[in-house]
Amino acid sequence: MAKVENQKNIDFYQKKVKNRKLGGSLEFTTSRFAYQLTSVLAIFLLLWQVVMPIAQGNAPSVIMIILTAVFAVEALLQMFVMKKIEKEVTGNEGQISDATRKLGVLLIICLVTGNLFMFIAGAMLVKKEKNLEYQLTIYSFLVTVLIIFVSFINLFKEAQVETFWLGIGLYVLYALLNLVILVAVNKYTFGKKPDKKFIPFAVISILGIALGNVFLFVLGLITIGKYRNKNEEVSVEWIDIIVRLFRNYTAVIGVLLVVFFISLSIGSNLTFDYDIAISNNFAARLAEPSLKYPFGCDEYGRCVFTRLVFGARISLIIGLISTIAPIIAGGLLGAMAGYFGGKIDNGIMRVLDVFNAVPSILLAIAIIAAFGVSTINLVLALSVSSIPGYARIVRAQVLGVSNQEFVEAAKACGAKNGTIIFRHIIPNSLAPVIVQATMGIGSAVLSTSSLSYLGLGVEPHVPEWGNVLKAGSTFLETNPYIAIFPGLAIILIVLAFNFFGDGLRDALDPKLK
Amino acid sequence: MKKLVALALSLVMMFSLVACGGGKDDEGEKVKITLLSYSAQEAATNILRDQLVKAGFDVTTNIQPDYSSMTTVEESGEWDIVMSGWTTVTGNPDYATRDIYASYGEYNGGGINDEKVDELIDKAAGETPAQYVATYTELENYLVTEKAYTLPLYASRGIRVVNDDVVDINTVKNPQSRSAFWENYSYVDASQNETRTLMMYNTMALTSLDPIQANDGSINQLSSNINIRIINMTEDDQIESDGSLSLNYAIAEGNQAFYFILRDDVFFSKVVDKHVQATDILVGGEDVVYSLTRAANQKSVASHKTYNLHNHMSNISVVTDMNELNTVKDSDTGATILETLSKDLATPVSTLVAADADVNNAAGAYQVVKVETGTAFPQVLYYLAHQSAGIVNKEQCEAYNSKFTVEEYDPNTHVCYGDPQAVKSGENMLYLSGPYALVEYTDYEIKFERNPGYMAGTEYAPKIANVGMKFYKDSTSAGLGFRNGEIDIMDSCNTNDVATFEKEGYHVFNYVRHATTYCEFNMAEGKPMADVNLRKAVMYAVNQEDYITYNSGLVGKLYSSFSTLIDTGNELKFDLEKSAEYLQKYLDAQK
Repeated sequence: MAKVENQKNIDFYQKKVKNRKLGGSLEFTTSRFAYQLTSVLAIFLLLWQVVMPIAQGNAPSVIMIILTAVFAVEALLQMFVMKKIEKEVTGNEGQISDATRKLGVLLIICLVTGNLFMFIAGAMLVKKEKNLEYQLTIYSFLVTVLIIFVSFINLFKEAQVETFWLGIGLYVLYALLNLVILVAVNKYTFGKKPDKKFIPFAVISILGIALGNVFLFVLGLITIGKYRNKNEEVSVEWIDIIVRLFRNYTAVIGVLLVVFFISLSIGSNLTFDYDIAISNNFAARLAEPSLKYPFGCDEYGRCVFTRLVFGARISLIIGLISTIAPIIAGGLLGAMAGYFGGKIDNGIMRVLDVFNAVPSILLAIAIIAAFGVSTINLVLALSVSSIPGYARIVRAQVLGVSNQEFVEAAKACGAKNGTIIFRHIIPNSLAPVIVQATMGIGSAVLSTSSLSYLGLGVEPHVPEWGNVLKAGSTFLETNPYIAIFPGLAIILIVLAFNFFGDGLRDALDPKLK
Repeated sequence: MKKLVALALSLVMMFSLVACGGGKDDEGEKVKITLLSYSAQEAATNILRDQLVKAGFDVTTNIQPDYSSMTTVEESGEWDIVMSGWTTVTGNPDYATRDIYASYGEYNGGGINDEKVDELIDKAAGETPAQYVATYTELENYLVTEKAYTLPLYASRGIRVVNDDVVDINTVKNPQSRSAFWENYSYVDASQNETRTLMMYNTMALTSLDPIQANDGSINQLSSNINIRIINMTEDDQIESDGSLSLNYAIAEGNQAFYFILRDDVFFSKVVDKHVQATDILVGGEDVVYSLTRAANQKSVASHKTYNLHNHMSNISVVTDMNELNTVKDSDTGATILETLSKDLATPVSTLVAADADVNNAAGAYQVVKVETGTAFPQVLYYLAHQSAGIVNKEQCEAYNSKFTVEEYDPNTHVCYGDPQAVKSGENMLYLSGPYALVEYTDYEIKFERNPGYMAGTEYAPKIANVGMKFYKDSTSAGLGFRNGEIDIMDSCNTNDVATFEKEGYHVFNYVRHATTYCEFNMAEGKPMADVNLRKAVMYAVNQEDYITYNSGLVGKLYSSFSTLIDTGNELKFDLEKSAEYLQKYLDAQK
């Protein structure tokens, strides 16, 4: 009996060690995720595009059979690679062999079929040493290629917007630039400090923000930050946080989706036709999903896919503004309340309590009902209702921070209140607000959509996601695809922000270092 | 390296320039139009916005959440085009023109103020149907073609969905203007008529059960089924006595006096303990005179909502002088009134009586009611067929309404005849002349029972014993209730739901109904739409086919609010070139 019990304990312990080893291996986690998603996709395609038509007595389309087969093969390949990594990581060596690493090239090629997760797995597998800079460049390249892919769907439309080829050309150039940066990253950044020669690349990378490419932007900041760091023995705190964030693969997926949506909403200006998104075309009324209209058409014959692409911009802008505005307002109020205490604290917090007592969506509806339907009012409505939340968080933080020695020291040195608040207290109480904010953007997008769905958001023809969903909801029974895709888009962006927020919280938590 | 940086920089700059600049600068000045509507008209608003944008206008939409918010904005004048709708519930063109186009019209929101329009409306009012087609055509040509005072969009059709497993669809009639009449309805299994409750739906709380105190969707249908009228309309809006309180009617020469000979087999019902009870009170000439006189008197009740329909009547009386009927000639045939009134009577008229108690048709004692209008106005018959001309019981009505004067009436303390709140709380004072009696009214449903004293033994006697109306939030949720079997007949539904109903095998009636959707132009001084060229530019930019396609072919073309009533042959032709031409004229005049 005792022996069995002992064996059980050993098994349990070994399993734990194994899981820990696997969990620590970026190669394995990315591989596993790619395998899972690819097989789900393959099964889904098989059921939906092959089995279902046969069951209904129709011949499935050849393209779909080929696509299904391709994904099935990819899933098998990925499973093979994953098993190999698992064996090698948990094996005696604990190292992935060079032969296995070479398989990564195969996975990278799978990007041609649009399989981005296998691409990530491949990119992580191919290279033994991976620093943050390498990862960021890979993701940036991936986002650029994805935008080119998504834009290419427009080729199936009757006509493309004038700037279509210009846009594609620029994005191809940008993808090439990404590769150049990748080479530079490999060459110059693997030391303790990035080589001076990398600085021009860092500047170029920072400019990527103009395209919404946050990855390159962060890459630029990090390398410059590292370069300017004088003490090589001490790492820079905020860079460490980002490194920790990128260790969490779920958070990375979240960031990837967010950056993709942001980049797409900027890139769509060149490669997508806004007219298709808003002008009615009754010839295509309620058209089913096809290559020409990937997500079908709504009751006015507007391409749902194009509407979603343009909707990303509106939803994200409203989400971002209505998160940043209350952070500034709530942050200031909370900081003042927490720092000064006493009557000021009481005064500010009681007024905010009154706001807090009104259900936020109700408050938003009331504001819109009073001032009318417009984008500015919508942002205002969403912002006002979330001010108390941020004020409370900041106040609680400030209460803790303002009693610490460094604040007293600052006071003793004769610093003014404003200086103390803005230079010492606020920077030290930002972390929880940032986490709250990333989650908040998700819920702001959701609230925008809810209000639009109720007819209180932006004008009905404007392709905001809630509006697109609303247009589809009438036809849920007869033409469900019109509502499914905007619904998925909303789910995806909210999930992405939540993953990102979760990861950020872990990265910021000093206990989880 | 520097080259690379320069290249990348220029690349990024180019991106930002192209991506942010985006727009074209060669568009020039556009005419700005503010389009006002409310949420229920969202689809039509969107289609119009799209069409106007395509015609080169700069359109801003202002979609208010509900009708009353929209009227507030409308009154403020901050709009150029407003969405509007009109349903001609009486079936006559006068009702479809006067209030909308006349300079004094209650619903003339755009400010049409044109003597010629007023004259034509008055001229047509004095004419018989045979004569007025030409006048209304002239009105339409002037109003729409020449002046573009109104912007026609589409004519809705009636849609009635029936659960044909339960209700015999051959017994369902679909009148164009008149409300659905229930006495015809019968189940597929006729033995259920006595036991099963026929369910329909309603979306709004009842405004009033006094026929003259309301004219809206909450009561129109039920009111016309609980109160009888002295004249009826056929399915295609022809005036007839069939199924009404009169056996025959006649129009006197000069189109100013109208005679009705009444039947004697309709008795009032009353409600005791939430169940119908027969009375021996005949619905007679005295009640008719009382009901119509109060309808024509603005001060008869506190909130008289249908005075505009009945103010044409100057005198209503019971005729006892046989000589009058023998001398006055019929306007159409030239025969005497008596001859017209006596047509197909079982027993010829021997005496004319005044008191209800003396009536006995079988013995030749008849009552004849005469309605006079101050000026020639044959269309008064349509108003007499409207639910608001329903006959109420004189004694019962006076018993309630004499307790206070109209001036001192306070809805919080006084109970007037037909007060829905009193009925709801159990004080059901209704003495009803129609085929059905309203026996119970709650927040969830309204219950009706057949009036045992309504033309008993004739083909007009109601077949189904119990009828109910269930309350739903809107037609979408009513549609769900219908598919769950909670209701048997849906008198209206969304055009986009029709496909679902048809797919599930329900019977969908699609019939002509005089409901129109059009736009008004803000022609106030200084407003751009005061210019006829701009109005025409807008009008020619409208393609009615889009509205028809959007509504799955369940709506029709429109030229004016009376297009569905009178075939003028006019049709709005979508023509972007003409639109551009008129727009140019407008712009040239502005310079």
